[in-house]
Amino acid sequence: MGDSSGGRLRFLPEGVTTSLSTGETILAHAIRAGVAILSPCGGEGRCGKCRVAVTGNIRGDSDPGILSPEDRRSGIRLSCRCVPLDGEVGVTVLPESRPARLSAYIDGREMAENGPYLPFHVVPEKGTPLGVALDVGTSTLAGVLIDLRDGAVLARATADNPQMVCGEDLISRIVYGEENPDGFPLLRRLLLRGLDKVIADLLAFSPEPGKIVEVTAAGNTVLSHILYGLSPAPVRRPPHRPTLKEYPVKTGKELGVSNAPSARFRIFPSIGGFVGGDIVAGILASGMHRSEAVSLLFDVGTNGEVALGNREFRIACSSSAGPAFEGGEVACGMRAYPGAIESVRIDPESLAAEYTVIGSGKPAGVCGSGILDLCAELFRAGLIDRTGRFVSRAGAPFRETERGRAFVVVEADRSATGADISFTASDLKCVIRTKAALCAAADALLQVVGLSREEVERVYIAGGFGNFLDLRSALTIGVFPPFPLKKFVPLGNASLAGAIGALRSRKRWEEAAALAPSTAYHDLSSDPAFMDLYQRALFLPHTDVESYRANLSPEIAR
Amino acid sequence: MALTALEIYKLLPKTNCKDCGFPTCLAFAMQLAGGKEKIEKCEHASEEAKQTLGAASAPPLPKVLVGTGDRTVTLGDEVVLFRHEKTFYHPTAIAVSVSDALSEETLRERVRGISALSFERVGQALSVDLVAVRCESGDPARFAAAAASALATGGKPLLLVGPCAVLEAAVGVAGTSRPLLCPPPEETGNGARLAASGKLPLVVRARGIEGLAKALAIARTAGATDLVADPMSADALQAVADSVFIRRLAITHRAREIAYPTAFDLGQGFPQPFAAACLLVSKYGSLLVLDTADPAEIFPILTLRQNLFTDPQRPIQVEPGIYPIGKVTPSSPVLVTTNFSLTYFTVRSDVESAKTPAYLLIAECDGMSVLTAWAAGKFTAESIARILTESGIAEQVGHRTLILPGMVARLSGKIEELAPWRVLVGPQESSALPSYLRRLPPAAFAAAHG
Amino acid sequence: MTIPSAARCYPGRILSVTLPAAPGGTPVTVGGQNALPLVPEGDRPHRAAVGMEVGTGVCEPPPSLARAVENREKDPVSFAKACVEEWGAQFLFLSLSGCHPDGGGQTVSLGARILREVLTAVPCPVIVGGCGEEEIDAKLFPAVAEAAPRPVFLSYADEKNYRLVGGAAMAYGHGVVSWSPIDINMAKQINLLLSDIGVPAGRILIDPLTGGLGYGLEYTFSIVERIRLAGLGGDGMLALPVLCHLGDAWKAREAVEVSEPSWGDVVVRGRRWEEATGWACLAAGADLLVCRHPENVAAFRGMAWR
Repeated sequence: MGDSSGGRLRFLPEGVTTSLSTGETILAHAIRAGVAILSPCGGEGRCGKCRVAVTGNIRGDSDPGILSPEDRRSGIRLSCRCVPLDGEVGVTVLPESRPARLSAYIDGREMAENGPYLPFHVVPEKGTPLGVALDVGTSTLAGVLIDLRDGAVLARATADNPQMVCGEDLISRIVYGEENPDGFPLLRRLLLRGLDKVIADLLAFSPEPGKIVEVTAAGNTVLSHILYGLSPAPVRRPPHRPTLKEYPVKTGKELGVSNAPSARFRIFPSIGGFVGGDIVAGILASGMHRSEAVSLLFDVGTNGEVALGNREFRIACSSSAGPAFEGGEVACGMRAYPGAIESVRIDPESLAAEYTVIGSGKPAGVCGSGILDLCAELFRAGLIDRTGRFVSRAGAPFRETERGRAFVVVEADRSATGADISFTASDLKCVIRTKAALCAAADALLQVVGLSREEVERVYIAGGFGNFLDLRSALTIGVFPPFPLKKFVPLGNASLAGAIGALRSRKRWEEAAALAPSTAYHDLSSDPAFMDLYQRALFLPHTDVESYRANLSPEIAR
Repeated sequence: MALTALEIYKLLPKTNCKDCGFPTCLAFAMQLAGGKEKIEKCEHASEEAKQTLGAASAPPLPKVLVGTGDRTVTLGDEVVLFRHEKTFYHPTAIAVSVSDALSEETLRERVRGISALSFERVGQALSVDLVAVRCESGDPARFAAAAASALATGGKPLLLVGPCAVLEAAVGVAGTSRPLLCPPPEETGNGARLAASGKLPLVVRARGIEGLAKALAIARTAGATDLVADPMSADALQAVADSVFIRRLAITHRAREIAYPTAFDLGQGFPQPFAAACLLVSKYGSLLVLDTADPAEIFPILTLRQNLFTDPQRPIQVEPGIYPIGKVTPSSPVLVTTNFSLTYFTVRSDVESAKTPAYLLIAECDGMSVLTAWAAGKFTAESIARILTESGIAEQVGHRTLILPGMVARLSGKIEELAPWRVLVGPQESSALPSYLRRLPPAAFAAAHG
Repeated sequence: MTIPSAARCYPGRILSVTLPAAPGGTPVTVGGQNALPLVPEGDRPHRAAVGMEVGTGVCEPPPSLARAVENREKDPVSFAKACVEEWGAQFLFLSLSGCHPDGGGQTVSLGARILREVLTAVPCPVIVGGCGEEEIDAKLFPAVAEAAPRPVFLSYADEKNYRLVGGAAMAYGHGVVSWSPIDINMAKQINLLLSDIGVPAGRILIDPLTGGLGYGLEYTFSIVERIRLAGLGGDGMLALPVLCHLGDAWKAREAVEVSEPSWGDVVVRGRRWEEATGWACLAAGADLLVCRHPENVAAFRGMAWR
């Protein structure tokens, strides 16, 4: 990346701003800022799909003639071929350049429309008051820098959660903490290091200098405890009771976040057990707590939390689904970085896999959305049966490997690693277990409360696995119960969106504070119905096939 | 309770005040829906809530107690038609009969024989619950003596079967032991008055459900309160039909006039009593009277009762221990996993597919699967090290190498520290075991030196 | 006072499945009911059927059984005839246990030959069981499917081998017994898998795995009740007849132990152990019972069924 020249890109209609990095194409800026633009050819200027309407100072006249003269006159350019130069560059992503699959990024600004802009902040003596909204995720830390004068987004940054070295999932990290004398302090130091990095990046990307005075942080109960300096060990064992569910405000200095020492940290309260502030923030972002309509919220990540409710009641649980949808556990899995295959189609005749890769290089692995697509496509093509076992078919690219039979997605000569990217029956079982946990968690909540699937009006999908989720693929393999497509509302990183909303509006923070204690926590591990529902969901799409066939079109439900 | 948790929640104050001990009103509502709490626990519940929820939680089938102290037998008090919906609470009570026509000595011997019908299975003692004294002599004094003798010799609660004249005499000597009175159908009224005056439970006998309902009404009018219904079924299938219908009427239809525990006399020439006993234990029989004291017959009936009245919510488990698969030798691999039945079946089946004879060590984990047991702290390095030392596997194999499920790979180091065994990390998925086992070098399981 | 009627019919109906017989024999049809068992309500076109198990392998019957079968079990063909002609079995379960390395190590072609002989000797319906050893069964099922001179049911198909067994059944016009380890979801799943490859529902029987008395019977009991309720409630993939093997009862120590006088006579006890297992299965909804003790066939069939 080049140095910042002080210029700024502003993407519309999202309103996302990012600092101008010299020499980088608009597309590269978009990827970094989390703005979705189609680019099946990997940014090589061949497909003409990444069209944007541009205003401002840009360079990029070496288009290979894909655009028509009318397009060019209207200011339409290929984002992969254009480099912004300086000043304010406005980029409007055209509707046809949006990925056809459901992807959305709710920006807290939408929520603030419901009320006046009411931040908490204390005006610093000089300089711009800045706020940071943090999503303290198990695998990824994400942050957004807000100009507290007007609520504008100034920068975004993400970082891997450094605690990963102590364990991919939260229970492993707790075990690490319990078994090593310096375990919990180390986990805390690692987390702080990650948060400091995110904050440093935010300040570096920000076009405005200033002082961070307010921070909102939304994370799982375990991570909230660690950040707050509490041992998360009680959360692991029954009755899974957190030491604290509410976290009184502390400064960055008191918590140990050195890059925002005088900021006041508001950590979202926990609901109970593992279900923490990230879910509270997600519920906040969805607005389900203000509506009469009964909604479900899925946070599709390693912890697989599900919340059910409306204005009158709410109940939430954690399914410990597993990291398959974040690229974990699956051998060829990786997170949604450049090199990750994010979508897959299997040609019904040649049975070969076609895919798109994040970034413009060779594929190195498959990220969550790609894994989802792959499973759905294998099922649609009749290459796996309902238990996820391979079905022999002539011409199918199966290969025997030391991990057993595998479906070859990418041959060695086409992959970035020099080795096949392939998917085994074990990988499939992983994915099926993960999706079964999530689906069963939702059904368990409905059952324990006494509601039928029909009574759910909206299904919110939160969590980032590449920010893209092909709902058709998800329903084909039964990640969710068979709600009609139109009920689904994608939220993107809802935890972050909720944190942003609370940062911008005192009212929203107060809503979150009231939300947590009034949401019931349901412990799935002591729910005898859950095992049965889980076993029922360990099938493609589900043992109750008829409900999928009844509610979804034949192209989705076999 | 027919109301769902959400319906109950709507009747509560919804303040989440926590006075009931639960963090949210919804959590309390869920407990109420599951029948685990009573509405009285919420001090702030409205009168309407208390009415609706109190009434809804009244038991559909009343409880009748027979006997006293720790030998008390409970009849009735059930809430579901199928054990998998929740559980059956009170096992079918079994009574074995003696006749008052027997000599004193023979009667005592017979009662001793009934007491000897005691069998131990999986940590539980199975035995007959009551001694039924049948009047064949017609003589009140003789019957009373027989009752007293049966009580003294056996110590079990009594079922007294005979005309009111003899029952009255027996109540005189054995009334404080709270016997269950069983007069003939034509003496229901008198029998009820006798029971009422002694506050004793009563079997009401009549043919058919309609007849029973009338007879029960007569008994209630006469002041008896603890009633058991005997439809005097002619054979096993009739008995099952009667038993099923009466239970449905109680639980589904809430027909209070016939909602009582049921009794069936399978003695006195009843056809196929063993079959009838098995069917009635399976289908809602509250009390069965048998004339046979043959352990070869009683033992299976009591075992069937033990099986069907266990709590179905316990996950299906296998016994912890060593399970050899195939023709094992001292150099066969040793694998460990949890005692959740499905886990055991799956791993066992996969090992069999591998064609490599192996030992499967099953650990006690409350029937949880590997990941659940590990997360809950039941499948730990310590517990696995303990099985290695305590199970006796060390005597069966010459090597000291254990294959651990891949899901808990992180435990390997600690296990090696605690038990002097080497740990190999197996695959994450049991389905990969065949290829894993086939690729193991035979040297991995050569005898350990020393 | 009027007592409401407690009879209960259900919207669904269990599919009628016929186990075919040779000319001169009586086919067995089970299923077709729209109500729970044993109670006079709804339509119940067929009664539960009782069969016996014939094994081809080396085995020592327990004492209570040995006396009752009078040493006939050594020769499968004569044993099969005794089961049908003397003891009243309506169908046979022929277990090719002899093909298992521990059961005699018979070749696949010998197993197929024994099957042909049994099918010729008795005209009643036959269900054929594999030997339980995966690689041998992979050859045995196709061989048996081809060798059988008339339609049989192949036992059993599970998640791993359903393509093999289902395929063999479809190629030669046989039925399939689908198996699951006491789990209602897996019971439905295996039927869906069989259905996916084209096995018609009318040729499937459900074997939920029967635990013997004292050794898992209650799990089977509840699973059979749940399967039956689901089928009657309209779930097509569970609205199929259920088959219970009572033979597991003989594995119980209590069924065979001779040296415990307080347990009563082992000859009576053993038989009753299997019998109690059977009554419980019938009460739960089993449509077919496979038993080993001749007197139990009479007991189950002799009930005054209406």
